[in-house]
Amino acid sequence: MPPWVDFEPFIVSGLALGGVYALSGVGLVVLYRATGVLYLAFGAVGALGALIAWQLTTRAGAPGWAGWLACIAVAGVVTLGYGLLFGPALARRDPLIKAVATIGLTLILYGVMDLLWTTSGGQARSLTLPTDNYTFTIGQIQVTWTQVIALGAGVVLTVGTAAFLHYTKIGTAMRAMANDRDITATLGVPVRKVEAAAWLGCGVLSGIAGLLLADLVALDATTLTFLVISSLAAVLVARLRSIPVTFAAAIVVGLVHDLLTPIVALSNYRDMTPFVIAAIGLLVLSRHQVIATSREEA
Amino acid sequence: MRATLERAAQPRTRRAITRPQLIKGTVTAAIILFTLFGLPEFMSLYYVDTMTQVAVYSMVALALGVLVGRVGLVSLGQVAVLAVGAWVAARLLFATTQPYLLVVLEAGLVTMLAGTLIGLPALRLRGLYLALITLMLAGGITVVLATVNFPNGGHGFLGYNGSQVHIPPIRRPSIAASDPAYFRYSVIIAIVMFALVLAHIKTKPGRAWAAIRQSEPAALAAGINTWFYKLWAFALASFITGVAGGVLAGAIHYLYSINFPAQDSITLLAVTLMGGVFSLWGAVVAALLYQFLPALLNNWGVSADWLIILFGVGVLQVLTTAPAGLADQVPKDLARLGRFLRRRLTRGSAP
Repeated sequence: MPPWVDFEPFIVSGLALGGVYALSGVGLVVLYRATGVLYLAFGAVGALGALIAWQLTTRAGAPGWAGWLACIAVAGVVTLGYGLLFGPALARRDPLIKAVATIGLTLILYGVMDLLWTTSGGQARSLTLPTDNYTFTIGQIQVTWTQVIALGAGVVLTVGTAAFLHYTKIGTAMRAMANDRDITATLGVPVRKVEAAAWLGCGVLSGIAGLLLADLVALDATTLTFLVISSLAAVLVARLRSIPVTFAAAIVVGLVHDLLTPIVALSNYRDMTPFVIAAIGLLVLSRHQVIATSREEA
Repeated sequence: MRATLERAAQPRTRRAITRPQLIKGTVTAAIILFTLFGLPEFMSLYYVDTMTQVAVYSMVALALGVLVGRVGLVSLGQVAVLAVGAWVAARLLFATTQPYLLVVLEAGLVTMLAGTLIGLPALRLRGLYLALITLMLAGGITVVLATVNFPNGGHGFLGYNGSQVHIPPIRRPSIAASDPAYFRYSVIIAIVMFALVLAHIKTKPGRAWAAIRQSEPAALAAGINTWFYKLWAFALASFITGVAGGVLAGAIHYLYSINFPAQDSITLLAVTLMGGVFSLWGAVVAALLYQFLPALLNNWGVSADWLIILFGVGVLQVLTTAPAGLADQVPKDLARLGRFLRRRLTRGSAP
């Protein structure tokens, strides 16, 4: 076991990563609760946004903020577009079918990204936020402001989303639709509009996550597309339902993953963290399952 | 209920062979004979190798098709299962001098055991959760395989020697050492696997699976042991995928963990859905999409990314408009085109 000092920097990076996973997870849960769609293209959309931001800032010479805004806007528009096009067509299908359909979008985006920004043989791209240059130290550990922002965004967006769902009209409508879409529609809630809002919100979150992960991890289509699995693990532990549990699980996934790095025997296996946590969480939570026959079964 | 189902099915099995069945059988036999004897004769070695891969992946798509189309279980980790089969076969081929066919069978059985052990707890979940847990487990297997590596003739349980300079190729059966011969060998094994699945579908498990797919509570109420039959489907699919892994080991001679990236499971699900999960031909179509088209495009110098985009569009199209996939849609469309052309021709010839 390495000395404690070796772990310290990884606490910071783990918390930052966990923060981004948390905000991704919250986006996934909100969209799932409102529309019944588990958005597996979350990572791919964020990756597309980040690559476009890279193109704008490093190739076209646009200022940094324009790139970041473009990233978030692209992610929001693509997600909203998918939701408007395929949401109604698949609204009455099984949640599984809806999730598999988003794999279709993932593949399309992945193909486009690999075509336009080929990874093999090319130079490694990187997207650095200016906050990387501002650092401070806690004890012996150096912390960048990007890491603070990542964890902060996770916390703020988790609290903000929970408050939004509880106190706003549209949030209440989303919670109602999560219970029963048909009855909600009968009560006069404009379900399509509420769904569109959920899609847009989820897309914006995926853009923010893409931007942060491109800086914290790597700007690479494959990596970013499949990083969604880590947030998916957190969402699964929360059974696609609870926002606080999603947050906690995401932080645990991020922390455990990074804290395993200095342990030589386990370092190679650290990428298994989300899988193991999700598997344990799911299997333990599903001990007392009954067969549900309602439409809401997921 | 089970008895009723069996009774209902009996007249069909006793009935004499009808004309459509005869045509279907003849066409199938002709295609098989052509694939075995005609195809390797006028293909370059590049395409013989590609078609061997098609035979391997038709088995993988077949197994996934059983899970998705027959039982309604979506697995997002089938390529990891294939990797397990290939690993076991490679290890046994390096360690023993057993006949190749026996090793393939053993690879299938070990993979079946592993798949069943994993499936045992996972089958408590259903629908979306089951699909995601298979994704997670496959991700885990991929990470482990990337660390332990594939056997390369080393010693010990894992059979991997990192400092090996001269890596021996994985052997092939003595009767199928050349590429065309190995292609025929793979096709014959694939045919046996298809026959195995057909035998399941036409008998009791197939009917139980159909009931579970329609409604699990109803199947349970009808006295079907849903847990047992779902596990059976998992075991069968793992066995077939393991056998495919065994065939794959000999086909490519050298195995690396980068041959089995976790994202391939997702692409595989996409092509299996596109090919069609309700027909056995769908698995062949899926394998052609998955292995033959990339080879063709590669030969033409077109980027394989276009295919990925096509697969994405295909998944969306299948899920929204054509749930039975290409294997169902294309013959129907062709028949419709034929009727249309006939009508045009007869109208044209009439004064």
